[in-house]
Amino acid sequence: MNVLKVPARTIAVFVLPCLIIYIGLVFVPIIVSIYDSLLDWDSINKAKFIGLDNFKTMFAHDANFWPAVRHTLMYAVFSMLEIPICLFVAALMNRYVKKANTLVSIYFVPVILSTVIIGQLWKTIYNPADMGGMLNGILNSLGLESWTRSWLTEPKIAMYCLYFVSLWQYFGYHLLIQFTGVQNIPQEVYEAAKIDGAEGFKSDWYITYPMAVPIFKISIVLAFIGSLQQFDLVWVMTGGGPAHATDTISTHMYNSSFLSLKYGYGSALATFLVFVCLVFTVVINSVFKKVEAKYS
Amino acid sequence: MKGISKGIVYAVLGILVITQIYPLFWLVLYSLKTNEQILGSSFFSLPTTPQWHNYKDAYKSGHYLQYLGNSVLVTVVTLVCVIVFSSMVAYAISRFKWRYGPIVTLIFLMGMMIPMQATLLPLMVIFKNLHILNTRWALILPYIAFATPISVFILSGFMRGIPAEIEESAFIDGASVYRIFRSIILPISIPPIMTVVILTFITIWNEYIMAATFISSEKLKTLPFGIYTFVSQYNVNYGAIGAFLVLGALPVLIVYFVLSERITKGMVAGAVKG
Amino acid sequence: MVKKSTKTAAFALTAAALLMGATACGSNNANNTSDNANTGNTGTNAGGNAAAGGDKNVTITFQNIYPDPATPSYKMLHSIVDQYQKDHPNVKIELDSLNTDQQKLKLKTQAASKEVPDITIVNPAAQMKPFVDAKLFAPLNDMLDQNGLKDTFQKGLLDYYSFDNNIYALPDGNNIEVVYYNKDMFAQAGITATPTTYEEFLDDVKKIKAKGMTPIAIGEKDSWTGSFLFMNILLRTNGGPGFLQDVLDGKKTFKDPAFTDAVSAMQDLIQAKAFEEGATSIDYNTGGNLFKTGKAAMMIMGTWETGAIDSSTVGPKVGVFKFPTVNGKGDPDQFMLAPGSAFAVSANSKHLQETKDFLNYFMTEMPKKQFELKNAVGSGQIITGDFKAAGYSQLAQDVLALFQNVKGGDLAFDNTMKPAIAQAHLSSIQNMFVQKVDPAAVAAEHQSAFDSNK
Repeated sequence: MNVLKVPARTIAVFVLPCLIIYIGLVFVPIIVSIYDSLLDWDSINKAKFIGLDNFKTMFAHDANFWPAVRHTLMYAVFSMLEIPICLFVAALMNRYVKKANTLVSIYFVPVILSTVIIGQLWKTIYNPADMGGMLNGILNSLGLESWTRSWLTEPKIAMYCLYFVSLWQYFGYHLLIQFTGVQNIPQEVYEAAKIDGAEGFKSDWYITYPMAVPIFKISIVLAFIGSLQQFDLVWVMTGGGPAHATDTISTHMYNSSFLSLKYGYGSALATFLVFVCLVFTVVINSVFKKVEAKYS
Repeated sequence: MKGISKGIVYAVLGILVITQIYPLFWLVLYSLKTNEQILGSSFFSLPTTPQWHNYKDAYKSGHYLQYLGNSVLVTVVTLVCVIVFSSMVAYAISRFKWRYGPIVTLIFLMGMMIPMQATLLPLMVIFKNLHILNTRWALILPYIAFATPISVFILSGFMRGIPAEIEESAFIDGASVYRIFRSIILPISIPPIMTVVILTFITIWNEYIMAATFISSEKLKTLPFGIYTFVSQYNVNYGAIGAFLVLGALPVLIVYFVLSERITKGMVAGAVKG
Repeated sequence: MVKKSTKTAAFALTAAALLMGATACGSNNANNTSDNANTGNTGTNAGGNAAAGGDKNVTITFQNIYPDPATPSYKMLHSIVDQYQKDHPNVKIELDSLNTDQQKLKLKTQAASKEVPDITIVNPAAQMKPFVDAKLFAPLNDMLDQNGLKDTFQKGLLDYYSFDNNIYALPDGNNIEVVYYNKDMFAQAGITATPTTYEEFLDDVKKIKAKGMTPIAIGEKDSWTGSFLFMNILLRTNGGPGFLQDVLDGKKTFKDPAFTDAVSAMQDLIQAKAFEEGATSIDYNTGGNLFKTGKAAMMIMGTWETGAIDSSTVGPKVGVFKFPTVNGKGDPDQFMLAPGSAFAVSANSKHLQETKDFLNYFMTEMPKKQFELKNAVGSGQIITGDFKAAGYSQLAQDVLALFQNVKGGDLAFDNTMKPAIAQAHLSSIQNMFVQKVDPAAVAAEHQSAFDSNK
């Protein structure tokens, strides 16, 4: 709870150094970007003010925009669906494994590695069999030749292959958050429940999951925001291709701003992205407020 | 019954260990192969003769030590600033009674939603006018700025949970707010600070777009930049790239495993009341 | 209390506003990159300075795309720069070596704040036009006249870098698109002569495929590679060069049969499974390496690859032929022309004269160094040395022989059309690699991209 009454000068000392850097280098640039979204500008020559035309083009005329939005939102949905699984595994670990911390640390490894490594690895996994692709190789040796395919280049499945890599990479991240949350539930609660006859999965259902709701929310918000901004992995693995089949809002933005030299339009995409982030975060928060109210 | 489910749980957890740690082994093997083996042979194959010279190539031609030194310097300065600044802000917004607290909190949280690529052009202009282009500050300052939101988020969550009595009694004893912050709040916030350290460390250690854009001098360039440029225009030595990736990931792996025990604890503490 | 925190907030806002101000008044006072670097280096160069007799210390930032020490280009760059610094102790050349993608992004970001490095790299014609229009580059006419540099360039080559009679950049090469092929693999497939018509070409592709080998290697994740090939087909179906220019001039549209025929021909090739599986996820380097490690029988690429192929394991088995005629149309001696990426000088350079002097020296030395390093195939400058005597491979000599008979040709799509249209084109071609398309639909896609980005 906020308790301390301190003079404004003290507040300034505590807040300003950070706030100035942050406002100047994150907030101001994005406001500049929002302004740029009203321009017809190649980022090099003179800009022309065109009002909301970029947004009109975006919503009505850009055939690649809505698919990119769909891919991005699907990305978010998949990432969020992973979190209940993480919570479930975390609860299991808490019950069955003694040195669970070490295990959690190992699961976290893919988060640490740079996207270049992750991208290279998974490209090698998805490659055609004659280029050493692991997945196709395994399918072949299982006699499932008909299942083999060129995973990253078939427009209908390439996006799912990318979702999967992200799920794999961030499994450890969300498991870590969930696990620490689960660990934090006081032992006495379980003991009290034991007396009432709740043990094992039953105690998970009545104690662990409800009490993990606040941390669950944190993971959901982080997963949502993170996957909305997903850029590196897609860029390294498919570059948004083939023919925009794996474009997300952020790769589309990069393409427009820096390759098509339509910086104003790219900024409009960035603005849209921030807006979507804000709206959904508010929605997620208010949903959880209701859930939390129900359980406490 | 209990034994069976226990067995299943262990099996699942064991498989996860393999899938999650496999990339490290893969990368090490990759770094010891020749181009022909990498492109040709099967995924699981071992290098026929380990190509240790890949490491020599990577070390020599990749400016490894120089880039490593720069990365360490930039990372350390950034980390110190992030810890100090964001814990101060977190303290202020979680414990002080002031009118604009909620707004400041909101402003910081919004930072998590801003795509970095959209800020490149404006940042270029800002740095140009501050005359810090092609200096280490052109990396350190944006790294601090972009690490702040999540750090404030984690730390303020933790600090909200600190019982008020601790501070109140110190206040009555006549300690100043600064003193309370330094000798009470900071020490008990070590666990979430560790979490902040590792999360920030990972992000900075792997960041390359800003590093390539704002730095031009060879002597200031950082490690991830080196990795990306190592992949050149018309020619590729895959094994050496793999070796460079191993060398690049090594420091972060060491730091992570040294700190990992604490990170787990910090996440707990930080996340509970977020 | 309340009042005070209002004040605090006001202070914060002022600070933010100050930073905002910093953003707003961006366009003056350019090029402090080199300025800063220069101040930083004054100390270290002081000794040399005295020796040179009072010349002021200068740091020139040289942005380039030769970061890989294993390549001849890297060696060429470093040896010339080292020599120049030795001869001019007061000049320091700061090399900013990036890979191609990084360099493109960086230059565009820099251009937005008029912060272009002293020397940078651009692509010819349409790709460099926005920079020239923004007056970011200095004309190099005067510098080209010094030391007879202008005459070292092949005739007409500099036109691709000229706007309004001013030359703004100097190319690092001049290449053509050819078909490299692996003689052993052709023999295995029972192919005795290289194809001269598209029908024969398709036939050979099928023969190679029938033997279980990959006919053509391509790195279509970098979508310009497919476009480069497609444009070669278009050059034939159009009966000669100039299709895109005609579109620009309003004389033709993309719905012209020359264009749709080219799409169909390209589609035939893709449907015959001429390319490796999953080509759109293979990047340029990996695609090239498929050929260089003997995993694909052909590679259709610019002659800049000659040196790298020579030094690869399949080097001695590689031959070269001209792209065949398509539907009986076109002249095999017309090629896709690839004037190289080129060095431009920032108009706002703090040390404009010194930079031009250095670039003059650099461009004069480059052909000699390239020749020594066996990297002179596809040089944009006239080379007088005897390639055979210098130990160049048979392949290199064959490629050079093709150069002798070049009867013109076309530039790549992105060198002719605006970036936004080029991007639409690239993704439209990439799409052909993953699904069957209707040529009329591809034409319509191109036309609408062209119309909305005129």
